Amino acid sequence: MHTLPFEPSVRPACVLERHAVVEVPLSEIQALRDAPAPAGAPSLPPRFLRHCDEQTVVGVRAVLEALASQADPPATLARDGVIAAPRLAGRITAAQTLAQVATAGGVAVSPHVVPQCSLHALASAVSVALGMHGLNLGTSGGPEALSEGLFAALSLVPTAGCDRIWLVLTEWDEEPALDAAGRPKNDPLCRGVALALAPCTVAQPAGITFALRPGAERVAAAPGSETAVAGGSGLAAFAAALALCTASGVIASWSHVCPWGTEIRIAAPPSVAGATSPPILREAA
Amino acid sequence: MGTVRPPDHAAAITGVGVVSPLGSSFAEVADSLLAGRSGIREIASARGAREARQFAGPVAVIPVPHSCPPAGFAAFDRLEQLCLSPAATALADAGLAGAVAAERIGLVLGVGAEQLKTWELDFLAGGTRVFEPRRDEALVQRMARRLGIAGPAVTVAAACASSGYALALGRAWLAAGLVDACLVGGCDILSPTAIAAFYNLRALSRRSDDPLKASRPFDRERDGFVMAEGGAFLVLEPASAARRPGGRVYGELAGVGMSSDAHHMVTPCTDPAQAARAITLALADAGVEPADVDYVNAHAAGTPVGDVAEAGAIRRAFGAATDTLPVSSTKSMSGHLVSGAAAFEAVACLAAIERQAVPPTVNLDDIDPACALDHVPHTARPHRVRVAASNSFGFGGANLCLVIRQAA
Repeated sequence: MHTLPFEPSVRPACVLERHAVVEVPLSEIQALRDAPAPAGAPSLPPRFLRHCDEQTVVGVRAVLEALASQADPPATLARDGVIAAPRLAGRITAAQTLAQVATAGGVAVSPHVVPQCSLHALASAVSVALGMHGLNLGTSGGPEALSEGLFAALSLVPTAGCDRIWLVLTEWDEEPALDAAGRPKNDPLCRGVALALAPCTVAQPAGITFALRPGAERVAAAPGSETAVAGGSGLAAFAAALALCTASGVIASWSHVCPWGTEIRIAAPPSVAGATSPPILREAA
Repeated sequence: MGTVRPPDHAAAITGVGVVSPLGSSFAEVADSLLAGRSGIREIASARGAREARQFAGPVAVIPVPHSCPPAGFAAFDRLEQLCLSPAATALADAGLAGAVAAERIGLVLGVGAEQLKTWELDFLAGGTRVFEPRRDEALVQRMARRLGIAGPAVTVAAACASSGYALALGRAWLAAGLVDACLVGGCDILSPTAIAAFYNLRALSRRSDDPLKASRPFDRERDGFVMAEGGAFLVLEPASAARRPGGRVYGELAGVGMSSDAHHMVTPCTDPAQAARAITLALADAGVEPADVDYVNAHAAGTPVGDVAEAGAIRRAFGAATDTLPVSSTKSMSGHLVSGAAAFEAVACLAAIERQAVPPTVNLDDIDPACALDHVPHTARPHRVRVAASNSFGFGGANLCLVIRQAA
């Protein structure tokens, strides 16, 4: 495992308070839609998710998991905001809608299509479900959702005036293949990652931090000296890196380079892990 | 909550590009708004449309950017054309087209349903993309490449407030030193599916017998909004760095306030508390008092519930200053540009500042008593405008207020 010096000069943008990763096959999302809240999580209004997109169901579940699975949940979420970065959400409903419109006309368009399948829908669902009155904002929607979501969140957390901003990232591991009526022909896995990000109030905070380094170049490493995160690039790799970075007794940092060159780095500082040279993990090319 | 930073974090607006039902240049749009001209008209009915006669605010001609070969531009879909045209204009207007330090220029695109619109356009043209498991490059990345922007490029969406959040994010990037300049704005197109969805939601005006009178915010006879299309983009730069020789500063984005109703995914919130809070946060962010504001460009789309709630929010946020604070809804003329509305209405505020006049709310024949404000019905009102506030609200409870002021 390659080691790079922890870089205190890269000022952390925020601290990770809690997080959760959820993976659900498409075939099981209907059951989750009907009963989204795990034990210990806040309950949602009845049938709250009935018109929601599949990625919204999984994203909301990830936020609920993050609240329920770790100790000391926040006393209130009213001062929280939410930024969501789904990737290619809404396609199943869009395909079914367009197929129906082709035969039945505009009367076949559900009034829920726009509010529930647009890019803002996941963020709004979290805000409404949990009573968050900070900003709620969708971002990306496309293949670069991880980069766009992280960059937007990290640039807003310090100044948005919220106690914390929830960043919710979702995607299909492989895109659903649809028949001519818009019915899925495969059973892809839907992945949701929820992060509760709080502003850094001290120079070297305890806990996992996220930092932005504009215009960063990848640091050259000795051949074979880096550990590629399992699961390739993208959200799967990010989820794997989170698991490593937050595991007890492990020190690690993970870097992701956005298409425009900014490096996003997650790090467990030495003060937490009791060492001075955390290993760096990189996305597999 | 909301942004809290000193007023010196204002961003100078150094470039403007707009393509809308009211014109395709800043001057044309300003002229139309202050003349009380409507861009609403009957449009060709789509196959399967809910009404025999359809009306909206269409864009007649999309100017081809100078930087783009006409044949190449013609091959882009309408959403991309309506984004690229005003974006290229804004960048050139700021003198940043072909800029050397392209990696220090960012792009924030406010568009609420890019994928839905792209799939629909393709489907209507006989394509099958919506059924296929593909991951096409996003519009914002294509735009950045075509405009020569190499800095961060991000899409944001907050339904009808989308392009306003683009302005907010771009300003945050400038303040954090992540970029030296940022192209921000948004766009939307008229789509048969979206029109049908809003019609079925009973959010659209059904006044098909008289389209010119259909968009009537704050009026007692209002019955919904009128959809429109178009895009508006601004170039933001640090106020301190925007004094290039020969350059123009249209105004400053001085304050931003953001909040959420956390009420319902579809139905608007009747409680104005959170919308008022967004306004209050924006004023504080800009370092201005309610009495300092000279004009409010209301979100007011003409929906029965939304207009009343916004009037309540304005009264709550501005307090005693409300009585002498001119308010208008330019959607009465432009229609509702949806994702592009907030950026377009920021342009309307810049027009009010440049012309020192408040654009009117046309069709405001009989003011709804529940919406009592200092309205500007029918014709523009000459007025000193140094500070303007622009409200934008979206599905899912997103509230945004921008404070735009005359350049120092």
